[in-house]
Formats: sequence, C-alpha cells, structure tokens
Amino acid sequence: MKIFRFLFVIFIFYFLFFISSKDINAQSVSLSLSPPLVETVIKPGKSILIAYTIVNYADPVILSAKVLPFEPKNNLGQIKIKEEFEGPIRFSLDNSHLKLNQSFFLKTNENQQLLLRLRVPEGAKEGDYYYTLIVESQPVTTQLEKSASFAKASIGANILITVTESGKIEIKPKIVLFEVLPRFRFSFFGKKINFFDSTDPIPLILIIENQGKNLIKPEGEIILKGNFGEKAKFNLIPQNILSQSQRLIQATPSAEIDCSNLSKFRACQSPVSLIISGFFLGFYRLSTAVIFGENSPQISAATSFFAFPIKIFTGLMVALAIGFFLIKRFYNKD
Amino acid sequence: MKKAILLVISLSFLFFFLKSVFALNMESPLFKIQYGEIGIAGGNKSSANYSLSDTVGQTAAGQFNSTGYIVKAGFQYLHSIIPFRFSISNTNINFGTLIPNSPQTATTTLTVSFGAAGQYQVTAIEEGRLRTLDEVNSVPDTQCDGGTNTCNESLAKPWTSNTAYGFGYNMSGNDIPSDFIDSTYFRPFPNRQENESPAVIMSSANVGRNRQAVMTFKVNISPIQPAGKYQTIINFVATPSF
Repeated sequence: MKIFRFLFVIFIFYFLFFISSKDINAQSVSLSLSPPLVETVIKPGKSILIAYTIVNYADPVILSAKVLPFEPKNNLGQIKIKEEFEGPIRFSLDNSHLKLNQSFFLKTNENQQLLLRLRVPEGAKEGDYYYTLIVESQPVTTQLEKSASFAKASIGANILITVTESGKIEIKPKIVLFEVLPRFRFSFFGKKINFFDSTDPIPLILIIENQGKNLIKPEGEIILKGNFGEKAKFNLIPQNILSQSQRLIQATPSAEIDCSNLSKFRACQSPVSLIISGFFLGFYRLSTAVIFGENSPQISAATSFFAFPIKIFTGLMVALAIGFFLIKRFYNKD
Repeated sequence: MKKAILLVISLSFLFFFLKSVFALNMESPLFKIQYGEIGIAGGNKSSANYSLSDTVGQTAAGQFNSTGYIVKAGFQYLHSIIPFRFSISNTNINFGTLIPNSPQTATTTLTVSFGAAGQYQVTAIEEGRLRTLDEVNSVPDTQCDGGTNTCNESLAKPWTSNTAYGFGYNMSGNDIPSDFIDSTYFRPFPNRQENESPAVIMSSANVGRNRQAVMTFKVNISPIQPAGKYQTIINFVATPSF
C-alpha cells in the first residue's frame, strides 16, 4: 500500500513539473502574405476583388484581418499606419464564413485565402487613398506564471488606390535634390565645387517630390560623363512616389561598400540613391532625366565633381622626398 | 646628380599617367563585377517578370473607360519569387522572477524575407507598460543610464547601471537602426496608451532572404517595486514598402 502511495506522489510530482511545464515552451510565429502591394486606378461607383493568401509556417495560430489607412513617414519609403480608419473607400471580405476583424484559426503550414472587396462609393472625391491590409496574430497571454512580455506579430500588404472619373492622373513632379556627397566642398566665386579622392566611391542623392494628387512612378537614368569622353548609365528604379510626398529614388547598378570600416563615410550614415565606384580623374558631370509614363513632362537636373588622386599624389611626394634625400646623401658621400 | 633627379621625375610622371589611363577605363573588370552583383537586385527591370507587369498595365489602361478600373498586383510580381514573410522565433518572452537591482534579459529573433525591388520595415510598440495584471503597479520605461546617457524611443544609449531601472530593448543583426552601437545600447518601447508612434526596428532597401535581427528585452526593477507578475504585449508589424 505504501508503494502505491509513493508511486501516486511520484505521478503527481511528474504531472505538475513536466506536463504542466510544457506551457512555457517557446511559441513561434511565421506568416507570409501575398501579394504585398496592389495598385489600382478606379472610377467612383466601381468595386474590385483582391485575392490575398496568408500562410502560417510556424505553430498553430489565431489570426484576424483588418484594413487601416497609412501615410508616408519619410522619403525612404517607410510608412506610418494610422490608428483609425478614414477615407471613402469601403472594404469587406467576400469569404462566406469570414469577415474583417473576425478571428480565424490556421494550423501549421496551412493557408487561408482572403477575398478583399474594395468599393469606391459614387461621389467619392478624386484623388489617392492609401491603405494597408493587416493580418495579426492573437498573443496567448495566459500561459506564463512569471513576468513576461508577449509578442503579437502582424504582417501587412499595401493598397494604393487612385480614384479618377476620367482615367487621367495628375503628374506634378519636381527634383528637390540631385547632389553628390563629397569628401570636400569648396566655394569658388559663389559656385560650389565638389571634390573627391580618385579612389573614393561617389555617393549620389536624388530626391523627387510629387506635388500632384496622384502617385507617380519615375522612369529614367543617371548619366556620368568624364572629361575624356567616358560615359556610364545607371537606371532609376521605378519606385512609387505618393501624392504630396518626397522619395529618395534609387538607381542601379549601385556599388556596395563595407560600412564596417567606413562608418564616417557619409553614404554609411544615411541612405543614398547610388554609389559609383572606380578610379576617377579630373572633371565629371552627372545628369538625370526623369519621365513618369507616356506623354508626361520630363524633368532633369545635373551636378558635377572633381577627382584627384590625393592619396597617390601624397604618397608620390613622400617617395620623391625620400628619393631626393637618399640621392643627395649618396652623392655627398662620393 | 641632375641626371638622377631627371630620371626620378620622369619615372614618377610615367607612373602617374600609367595609373590614370588604367583607372579611367570605366569598363574595368572591377566595375563589371559590381554590376553583376547589383544586377541581381536592380536588373529586375529587364527580367521576364517585369515585362509581364508592363504588359498587364498597358492592356488594362486601354480598358479603363469600359471596365472602370486598372489593377496591378504585386510590384512587378517580383514578390512571388521570395514571398514577403515575417517570423518571430519566440512570442512568449519569459523574464522569470524579477529580482531588484539584478537585470533580467530575454531574447527573440525576428526574421524577414523580402524579394522586391522596394523596401520593408518592421515596427514595434508596447500596448501598455510592463505591469501587474490588476494594472495597479508598473515598471517604468527605461531611460537607460540617465544624464548624457538618457535614451528615448528613437535614440539608444548605454544602459549598464544596475541602479537604473525600467524596461527596454536592444537590437543586433541585420537592418537595425544605427544607434544600437553594441549590446549595451537600449531604447524604451513606444507606448500605444501614451499615443506614441511605433518605432522602426528593422528596415532595408535591399532584396533579402532571411534578414535576421535579435531583440534583447531587459528589465531591471528597484527594491521598492511591489511584488507581482508583470506582463505586457509588444506588437510587431512587418510591412513592405510602396
């Protein structure tokens, strides 16, 4: 009888410390949402259906979907999602058993199609409206008996909506900055002269402002011309510039630099449009011409820089000085 | 002597110009190598996927008046190659039993895969302070070591003192803000209940697969902190750019 009591106590001990302790195992979340970006030009009174797919690659999870408006946060393409819904666009899910803000369960490696209906009411004001579809996990907060923080994972997909009656969009671009970030900058008779060492990578910034009420997408190139006739072309990446905002436009092919050894290099301190590497000597001119689709106005800008092999020249002068010193000493001995 | 000087100068000039001629060739092997590397990211414009997107856009444009809409889904449809995916390795960040003047840390790994020619961002915000379930007592958000080392929601500063109390986080790994200089630099979380904006904790303009960053949570309580189980929810939001 004592043995049975002993085994019973062991069983209870085992149950409490091993079975119940499974509650504090790590819980992981891994979600994918596609498509990540939808752009639409739509008339008032029309509606479209967008099929999203959310996939759960980790532990079983409870999810819910919602739509919130966003605005550009800075000129780097980052967004700020607003806390409350606003704007005339109406969203709903066409799924038979699922609505926005309603929880649904996804097992590991299971996916769920979300049929998002987007409707523009009659009389909606022409212009752009930007939203993010957010699918968020519900954190399980009751499992731990210790102090803890619980992570809630949300994944988003952006929806860019241009509402127009005629199909025409307003294109009002302006280049607000097209400039290199030089090692030295001198002022000569009121003109700024950018100066690099010949071996320096050349960081370039191109910022375009969209003064119109519809998003625009730049197309064009940056051209580098040297004083010996050499020429290189870099294509602008067609990134959307939302209405009434600015964006740093990137160009390709851009060099990559290792910032671990160049933390004070200006291109390592803030994002740039393009880094051109090579060996430069003399005067160089950089220009850009940008259009925004067929029949759009072209805008352009230019800048220039000088490059001189300061490091090599300094080394050469030191070598010459040492050479002169040694030769002079050699002849003096003779 | 004069001949020797002349010889040195001549050799110097020869060396100087030889360098120049070689370097001015902008089609040098070095340059081409860099083109090839970046071409994986930037050459998307000439890929088959991009052409598909172009065609869709043009065809739809002519139909606008009859159908009333044009839809372009997935920036040049490139995302399907590496889908936009966000992972958190551990959603239950357990601090154990909090002991005064003895900082507790715990980590979780954030992973983002993104195959677009655009950017992504991950933001974080706490839904409220780290506090007891009855919401009576709370651990303040950290100010780091204070003085010149006072951190805030957008600027990390060293937090090494065991008598500096609060709750905050450090970031290490890919695509993190540059103010997280090393593992001693911390920030407090923005607080939604105080109407603060989420902080960007990861962002990148480059195409990437499995971009990983480790978030280290840190709590240090004072001896007068009431006993209890302190908890909060951190909301991570991963979004692609536009």
